[in-house]
Amino acid sequence: MKRLECLLICSAAAFAQNALDPAAAEWKSAAPVTLALHRTPPLYPTDAPAALEIPSVQAQIIHSPAGNFVRLEWADKTRDSAVLPKAEHAWQGDHLVTQSAATDRFSDACAVMIPAKPITGDLNPSLQMGDPDHPVHIFVWDGTRGAAVMEASGRETTKRTGQSFPAQAQYAAGKWTVTMQIPDLQAGTPFAVAIWNGSQQDRDGRKYFTIWYRAQ
Amino acid sequence: MPQHQISMVLDLNKCLGCQTCTMACKKLWTDGDGMDYMYWNNVETRPGQGYPRNWDKIGGGFEDGKLRPSELPTKEDYGQTFEYNYAERLFQGGMQAMPQEEVRNTPNWDEDVGALMLGENYYFYLPRLCNHCTNPACLEACPRKAIYKRAEDGIVLVDQDRCEGYRYCMKACPYKKIYFNELLGKAQKCIFCYPRIEKGEVNACAKQCPGRLRFVGYLDDPESAVHKLVHVYKVALGLFPEKGTEPNVFYVPPFNPPRTGSYGKSVLEDPRMPMDYLKYLFGDEVIDVIRRLEGELHRAQSGGTSEVLQLLIGRDEHVRYQIPKHEDLIQIQGVHKA
Ligand code: SF4
Ligand code: SF4
Repeated sequence: MKRLECLLICSAAAFAQNALDPAAAEWKSAAPVTLALHRTPPLYPTDAPAALEIPSVQAQIIHSPAGNFVRLEWADKTRDSAVLPKAEHAWQGDHLVTQSAATDRFSDACAVMIPAKPITGDLNPSLQMGDPDHPVHIFVWDGTRGAAVMEASGRETTKRTGQSFPAQAQYAAGKWTVTMQIPDLQAGTPFAVAIWNGSQQDRDGRKYFTIWYRAQ
Repeated sequence: MPQHQISMVLDLNKCLGCQTCTMACKKLWTDGDGMDYMYWNNVETRPGQGYPRNWDKIGGGFEDGKLRPSELPTKEDYGQTFEYNYAERLFQGGMQAMPQEEVRNTPNWDEDVGALMLGENYYFYLPRLCNHCTNPACLEACPRKAIYKRAEDGIVLVDQDRCEGYRYCMKACPYKKIYFNELLGKAQKCIFCYPRIEKGEVNACAKQCPGRLRFVGYLDDPESAVHKLVHVYKVALGLFPEKGTEPNVFYVPPFNPPRTGSYGKSVLEDPRMPMDYLKYLFGDEVIDVIRRLEGELHRAQSGGTSEVLQLLIGRDEHVRYQIPKHEDLIQIQGVHKA
């Protein structure tokens, strides 16, 4: 198993206020680790295969008394995200209908997956969204819909829990930086990262992924 | 295979292109936010670009049992939705009523244009809705298993809670009859008016059709008009049978008026439109259907009676619709599709 050697402990007081700011000075003192990204094999015959446009993601993790934080940074030439007007679920009679601006755009997104319950020994859950004996929690941030916690116990079982979590994102100079606060990402917890590139029509299992790493 | 399969037959010889069906559907089902561009029922002029633009050429369906790749239609392919400058026109005066933006495409962009053959124009209207296919490509493509085909009537629906808006279904549907509601992040489609069907009431599009060209019932009900037209008289065909989804919406192919000076000649002898175009849409079997219908026409014209033509006239609702309430569905003695 690969181990991610990246550990920085800050004082709670100094860090808690800025932790989610991708540009916070604290992050500059934590050495980023480069995680190689892989493309999922073509899963769906409806889509053309995609090239490896994003070869890696930089990860930093900070465990502090104020919480466990992760910062992901990756290069992406196009910013694919949208601010959508709010839709009313109810049928509105005579009100002027709010329009869908597009039918074919997909959002840039990233996610951190961790086991839902402490694992024993060195065996990690299946990389494909865990397995029935080793369920996972997935912390997803997407450029259009924001942060959401999902749970899964194997491929095709991913479900939204309805909960969100603290996250911030910034796109500048061809790079996304996303910070997340994930309480259960304690030292020693295995984690895997996924990146979706909207301009490559990434969504669901069409994505970039890393193998399991362990925050030490 | 569902226990029963609801179905619709549309006689293309009777469609006026009035879009009453389109508006009935729009008012009933797609006037919510994010649904502005959606017409679960649309009527397009053929030959023509269709809605969404070039839907018949961008992919989807099956090939050798496998899903075929496809493009995703853009919003402009579906056609823009725009407002007119009513306020300026009505209250400031002096100017034309104009769309508020430059219009490059609309759902009915090439209405009534058609094409020329031997110097004469031909076209017909093709009303389209989800075909509630027996082998739905949309369902096959969905990794979330959010799409299901109801056992009791074969209606294909998208579970809005399970849908994550991935749009594999939109690519997979060869008819491009699933739409994306960007504001809700969900795929949405024709529901065959299931709340009406369950009560024994016909779909809104059929109910409102002044052309009276829509026949609705269960395909496995030997008493239904749809069963007779499809399986007994064999005068109705699905669109693009080679796409492999086994559509359950069927069409009686259009004849078009005779060409100038071709009185007395048969449709196949002196067609107004290229038969290859009809073969493109409905498969080679369309020629047999036209032959069959022409035979019926001759019989009626020479004083005989034609059961098929009588049925196709379909003046009254009880002739066109046989829709038992869901609780009475059991009474259909299933003679399943041969
Ligand atoms: S017409 Fe398209 S959306 Fe409707 S059931 Fe068939 S494949 Fe699915
Ligand atoms: S309402 Fe009937 S006649 Fe009018 S366009 Fe629709 S199908 Fe054709």
